[in-house]
This record gives sequence, structure tokens and C-alpha cells, in this order.
Amino acid sequence: MENDVRRLRTERGLSQAELGSLLGVSRQTINAIEKGRYTPSLPLAIALAQHFDRPVEEMFHANGSR
Amino acid sequence: MQTGHAKGVLATKWFLPAFCLLLGVVVAGAMAMGGDAGDAVFSLVLFAVIAAALALGGRSETVRMIRGDGRDERWAMIDLAATAITGLVLITVIIGACLYEWSQGRDGSPFSQLGAVAGVAYIVALVALRQRS
Repeated sequence: MENDVRRLRTERGLSQAELGSLLGVSRQTINAIEKGRYTPSLPLAIALAQHFDRPVEEMFHANGSR
Repeated sequence: MQTGHAKGVLATKWFLPAFCLLLGVVVAGAMAMGGDAGDAVFSLVLFAVIAAALALGGRSETVRMIRGDGRDERWAMIDLAATAITGLVLITVIIGACLYEWSQGRDGSPFSQLGAVAGVAYIVALVALRQRS
């Protein structure tokens, strides 16, 4: 699923490992989410959205819609 | 999100290598008791090599997943899919072996019993998981 995680993360100067550590997941999981290879669970998507202070639906784009 | 798959001592990087080594000692002991000293030594060395690879392969994500440390929800999904694929391969082999045994005029043992266990286990798991969800 397309998402804005990479952009939001780099805007805040966070590494994938740092973001993963903050959310309790691995660096590889953050990388997989950013590349759209892995769709996070609802709790993790909400945690990401809360971390970046964005609504979930603005961060994740179902069917590639923006 | 962290999952509940590996917690406490199970989540440490040393548990699986230690368990692997212990298993090697037990297997080698059983083989030695059966009079296969050569196979016992070979098994012990094989398990020790696997234990060392698990203990020292910390940079590999796959090794860390097998070991249990650093798991999260993505790994839980991968683990689930890998388990399903493993089951599918095993069932396919069991069915094939069963058919071969029957074609040779034998009763299909032990493959027919293994297939029956797998079938019953699947149905029980299906019913239990359906009730939980």
C-alpha cells in the first residue's frame, strides 16, 4: 500500500531504525512499509499516524489514491 | 507492533542455540545407546554447527527470526505464511508417499496415519480458530 511514511520520517530526520525502535518494530519492517511491500496492522498504522500527528487515511493510500 | 510469540527467555538470542545443542546431545545419546557411535558423533557435530550458526549469525534477519529475538508483527505474518507452506509441502509429500505405498500393495503405513492426523488437526484448528474470531 502506498504511503507517506518515508517522506514524514525523513522530514523529521529519523532513521528507519530509530522510527522502528520508537514503534517497537524492526528497521526492516519500516523499510517494507515504506516500499509498500508490507501493509501494517491497524494498531501499527494508528501508531504511525499518531507519531506523525496525521490521520491514518492521509498517511496510507488504499488503491494508490491520494 | 511487538507480538507475544517470543517473550522472556525464549526471546533471548541464546535460547535456541542452547536448545539446539541440548537436542544434539540427546539425539547423539539416543544413537549411542542404539550402538551407532559414528552417527552419534556426526549428529552432535551437526547440531553444534547449527547452534553456532544461530548464535553467531546475528546480522542476518532470517537467523534472528528463527532465533526469536527481534520479532515483530511483520515477522509473525512471515512465520505464519512459512508455517502454512511447510504444512502444504508435508501434506503433499504424505499424500504422494501414501499413493506410492498403496500402489505397491502395502497398507500405506505410516503415511496414511500421518495424513489422517493432519486432516483431523486441520479441522480441529479450523473449528477452534473460527470460534475465537
